[in-house]
Amino acid sequence: MDFKKRNMSLKRLLFILPALLIYLVFMVYPMVRSLIISLHKWDGLSPEMNFIGIKNYIDFFKDPVSYTVLKNNLLLMIVLLIVPVILGLVLAVALNKKLPGRIVYRTIYYSPYVLPMVAVGLIWSWIYDPMFGALNSILKSVGLGQYVQGWLGQPSTAFPAILVTIIWRSVGMPMLLFLAGLQDISPQLYESAEIDGANKFQQFIYITIPQLKQSFAIVISLLIVGSLKQAFGIVYAMTWGGPGRSTQILSVWMYFNTFLYEKAGYGSAIAWIMTIIAMLIIIPYIRIMTKNT
Amino acid sequence: MNNDRLEKILLYIFLTALLILWIAPFFIVILTALRTQNDLLTNGVFSIPENIIFDNILNAWNKGNMSTYYRNSIVLTLLKVPTGVIIASLVAFPLAKWKFKFKEPLFILFLIGLAVPIHVTLLPNTITLSKLNLLNTLPGLFFPYIAFGLPMQILILRGFFSTIPNAFLEAAYIDGASEFIVYRRIMLPLAKPAIAALVIMDFLATWNEFTMALIFIHSEQWKTVPLGLMGLQGQFSSNYPTVMAATLVAIIPVILIYMLLQRFFVTGLGGGIKG
Repeated sequence: MDFKKRNMSLKRLLFILPALLIYLVFMVYPMVRSLIISLHKWDGLSPEMNFIGIKNYIDFFKDPVSYTVLKNNLLLMIVLLIVPVILGLVLAVALNKKLPGRIVYRTIYYSPYVLPMVAVGLIWSWIYDPMFGALNSILKSVGLGQYVQGWLGQPSTAFPAILVTIIWRSVGMPMLLFLAGLQDISPQLYESAEIDGANKFQQFIYITIPQLKQSFAIVISLLIVGSLKQAFGIVYAMTWGGPGRSTQILSVWMYFNTFLYEKAGYGSAIAWIMTIIAMLIIIPYIRIMTKNT
Repeated sequence: MNNDRLEKILLYIFLTALLILWIAPFFIVILTALRTQNDLLTNGVFSIPENIIFDNILNAWNKGNMSTYYRNSIVLTLLKVPTGVIIASLVAFPLAKWKFKFKEPLFILFLIGLAVPIHVTLLPNTITLSKLNLLNTLPGLFFPYIAFGLPMQILILRGFFSTIPNAFLEAAYIDGASEFIVYRRIMLPLAKPAIAALVIMDFLATWNEFTMALIFIHSEQWKTVPLGLMGLQGQFSSNYPTVMAATLVAIIPVILIYMLLQRFFVTGLGGGIKG
């Protein structure tokens, strides 16, 4: 195929340049610059930057707050990998049947996923409101008044309350991806399994799950990367990392240090720790993608 | 047969119970937004409103500045979404169909962006934007938004373009068509379903974006809807009906688009990602 081998002329370069330029200036360059900043002691404003090597990273792992932050991120990731994946899979299998009204169910389960994070955070802050919120109202009206409490105001319940919010938002995404995966499985596989005497449960374990391998890879990577990136708006709107530091997560903590505490070097180190975690997780995903296309 | 019916009933009970949990927050927003503060505090959130009123919505729209935030979000979305998708499709074409040096590394460079948390770019981009005099302006959001949309859009469009048979292109080249004509007359029309899905997904992402807006925009007059909503919560904090009215106003466009165009979500998310 001759047409593929022509040399790169200026005209052809025009296809690549707009994307490449914007991407280099606003994505690649800032990443590198952030790495450099993370090796300095800097307030983010003054011309004076002191090179301190990896001290910011060492300080991060020495700071007790970091363990609250890492623990919350880990908890968020684990909860997201369990609840939305299992619930999403169950819903996808159920809604893959020819049930009347299934489009209504699918539409509503997915709908929170299209909302702005800040809106999700505000809606649930109102639900958890200690005085007039819906949750406490329900508890009172069903005789569970002793459980009425300020859900977001105390360390013991604030992060679980955020987790519930994020689960509510997230379940639709795996459901929709699993549904798409299920529709690609050939019915013949089930037919021949039935002839061989496999029951529904065996079919699910030996056909459905393995056939959804690719959907699982996508769902898991999206949820893990999402747990790093997307909780920002929800935590920002609901608790601002509080009470104390109890609901602090990497992204919000990075924002606090960089933009509120004038510790730009330290904040950039936190940002790079997030980036490294995300990279480690996304590389297998990228390999699946490139193999596939 | 009987077993089947029981199974179906149990399934419906499970699905419906979950449905109620999932839809309840939306009802709470509406029930709060359309009544007076007084009515809410005396009768509780689950009571039927004494009067259905739209004052809170007008309050959020006018005093809460929602009208300004809407204008900014609409302008930004209308400019950013088409531009971003066109730029992504331009580069996805060579990545799918040409042979050139550094093609694989270029593709991988774009894919890496899928993993980059925006947070790592916030401070350096603040510095760049302030040097370009774009800090605290809508164009200051436009370029970073484009950069962050590119990885996923390039991945999906490249996948889609790859499935277009080479024979189509060869025939056009033999007729003397330029690369641009091939892109414009063959690739784009055939990729319509993918492009439609990307435009819709990108509309949502742009409308909903909060983190970059929070860092790059300071003045009231340039705030986008999520950023404005957050500020409005500070201003009206214990006036729940107004805060929920503003939330309702903020989410109506995404809900409408989602409801009307949801068939694209299935193809866009499911089919598109798999290319």
